[in-house]
Amino acid sequence: MRGKFLGALAAAGLAAGLTMLSTAAMAWTVKEAAEPYKGTSIKAIFLDRPGYAAAAKLIPQFEKETGIKVTWETLPYENSRERQVLNFTGGGEIDVVLVDVVWIGEFAGNGWLTPMETFIGDKKLADPNLDLKDFFPILLDSFGTWDKKVYGLPFDNYSGLLYYNKCMLKDAGFDRPPETWDDLMKTYGPKLTAGGKYAFALQSRRGETQSADSFMRFLWPFGGSLLDAKFKSNLMSKESQTGLQFRQDLMKYMPQGIVDYDHAEAVNALAQGNVAMITEWSAFYSTLTDPAKSKITDCLGVAAEPKGPAGLKPALGGFSLAVSSQSSKSKQAAAWLLIQWLTSKEEAKPYVEAGGVSGRMSVYQDADIRKRFPFVEPMEVSWQNGVPDFRPRFAEWPAISEIIAEWGTKMMLGNVSVKEGAQTIGARVEEILGQAGYYSGSKPLLK
Amino acid sequence: MSNGLLARATGRGRQAAEDRPVVYPTMWTNWRVALAFLAPAFLALALIGIFPTVFALVNSFRRYNLVRPLEGTPFVWIQNYVTVLNDSSFWGALGRTFLFLVTVLPVQLALGLVIALLLHRPGLSLFRTLTRLSLVIPLATAPAVVGLIGRLLFNRDFGVVNAFLTSTGIGAVEWLGDTTNAFISVALMDIWQWTPFCALVLLAGLTMVPNEVEEAARLETRSRWQIVRYVQLPFLLPSITVILILRTADILKMFDTVFTMTRGGPGAATELISVYIQRVGFRVFDQGVASAQAILLLILTIVLARLYIRFVYREV
Repeated sequence: MRGKFLGALAAAGLAAGLTMLSTAAMAWTVKEAAEPYKGTSIKAIFLDRPGYAAAAKLIPQFEKETGIKVTWETLPYENSRERQVLNFTGGGEIDVVLVDVVWIGEFAGNGWLTPMETFIGDKKLADPNLDLKDFFPILLDSFGTWDKKVYGLPFDNYSGLLYYNKCMLKDAGFDRPPETWDDLMKTYGPKLTAGGKYAFALQSRRGETQSADSFMRFLWPFGGSLLDAKFKSNLMSKESQTGLQFRQDLMKYMPQGIVDYDHAEAVNALAQGNVAMITEWSAFYSTLTDPAKSKITDCLGVAAEPKGPAGLKPALGGFSLAVSSQSSKSKQAAAWLLIQWLTSKEEAKPYVEAGGVSGRMSVYQDADIRKRFPFVEPMEVSWQNGVPDFRPRFAEWPAISEIIAEWGTKMMLGNVSVKEGAQTIGARVEEILGQAGYYSGSKPLLK
Repeated sequence: MSNGLLARATGRGRQAAEDRPVVYPTMWTNWRVALAFLAPAFLALALIGIFPTVFALVNSFRRYNLVRPLEGTPFVWIQNYVTVLNDSSFWGALGRTFLFLVTVLPVQLALGLVIALLLHRPGLSLFRTLTRLSLVIPLATAPAVVGLIGRLLFNRDFGVVNAFLTSTGIGAVEWLGDTTNAFISVALMDIWQWTPFCALVLLAGLTMVPNEVEEAARLETRSRWQIVRYVQLPFLLPSITVILILRTADILKMFDTVFTMTRGGPGAATELISVYIQRVGFRVFDQGVASAQAILLLILTIVLARLYIRFVYREV
């Protein structure tokens, strides 16, 4: 009798507890969570790219629901790190930090970002439906995580893709894009380069464009890499040399002056029908399908990047949003709520529809999204095969990137040979890493 | 009527005032007045000129990297200077800057002189006024905008320059993607922007030549060149010195135009010394080394200015 009673009591207690739990889960809304922060004003750093224009379209709804005022400063990419570093060192006003995949080591390592566990552990602030596992693991690992701690949530996500002009390929007798870099060079290159038109354009302008989009793109697929396991230069390895020489040889199928092409020029060359193929970030899909900016909207094709001898190793890039450690507690909470909301499962579809590329896996299960955005399929494949440290993410990358940018363009211009260029880059990179303390063991080999 | 006024009116007071010993401004009052006049200028100069220079000088002796705040800023004596002097990229950029200087400055001076002489001739006063006014337009344009205009002008596919060259049958030229041509393009934009400055300064110099001297010279010779060489040029030497000093300093710190137009590329073809220092200071964030570079550049500018004054400047 007593046992039955206790059992019933336990069952009742459990039921009540579950109800309470589910009500709590049901009850969490961003509106209620933001109640204490109503009227708080937060500042973010944005870029002049489609993902940020998409966020700008969604933010008024967040402001309406929460009463939090969001302002942002739109910067060119090249100035955005400078602006933020000076902000951190000078004690500035930025609350929502924009973290490029290659800045996370620097920003997190210097203590400029608040670890996300601070907010995720706070039941009032964390959406029970946050579901970090729904982000593509490669994105959360590379843009959001440093030394096993999450600092940012993937927001503006890129994979390198092959964009091509179906009509030009068809006229040259091809019914599909090249599968491998070798195909592109040997079969597609000669046939598509004639009469002022070129088979391929590789954005190679000095800056991060040269180091990330041009130089690194030809290391990984060929089995090469910048550094070996001990952080010494791997550029003189046979594989790295093959890749860099391949890039050099491929230049005969690219427009003249390719070393002055930035993203805008490469995208424009395809959009105006001057080149047949480019390898560019997924984020430029919306530019290429915009009739105001592109003449090839009906001819646009998109596929995964060509494979190299080492398989599919596409470029990986993108940005996460993080909370500044220098902001006040209330601004930090408000910033977290914005980041959580913008990158949430619920907002993923509106974000994609507005021109952004979400890092959520669930949104791409949607048949409608898959149909409307043909870049989704090759992008998923790319993210499953990508290299998380496509570019090393440690704090020394910006200094290394400068060296690669200078000597990589000199290499392409023929001012130095591939071998000389690679040797110089390798020596200077080792000098920087040596000074940083990686070889003496005073700094862990994290990238 | 007050006593004073009454006294002055009667003349009795004037007498009294003359009897009193004359009070000359003392050292104290002098000093106070001088200070009051000088203080605002001194404060402004200290704040925007002296303090940053001293700060940069101190930084140049420290290891100071903004993105390594945990390492502190230890004193390293002349290590940063040694690093700079052993850096081949620094010397490369400095050499390029001098090449740029000796390319654009003679052209600007020569063109400026021609324009100034044309504007100095009598007649067509309305036309001359309009020309003088329009000369200010390039000067008033922000250098960053000049760089952007250059980027549009010299664009390979859509640029005006190539459109013109194609229409004349010469054919399109690769401007910004070629090392030599990119250098020439930036030089052309600089010449466009700064020739008017030279013209205006030289025009002001020409007005210093006394009319009677010029007229006498005209009676002596019919050669325009002789008048320019022996009469006008001596009067222009102070203006030329000013141009040399200002333009040299400007080119040594030229940044905006290059940054927006080529970002120092392709390769390092247009990486002038200031672009390089910015790269070290605000991409690598090595404030120590960048400060050492800036201090060396400052010394160089001062030395060059002294040389110009010594060898070019003559009192008229």
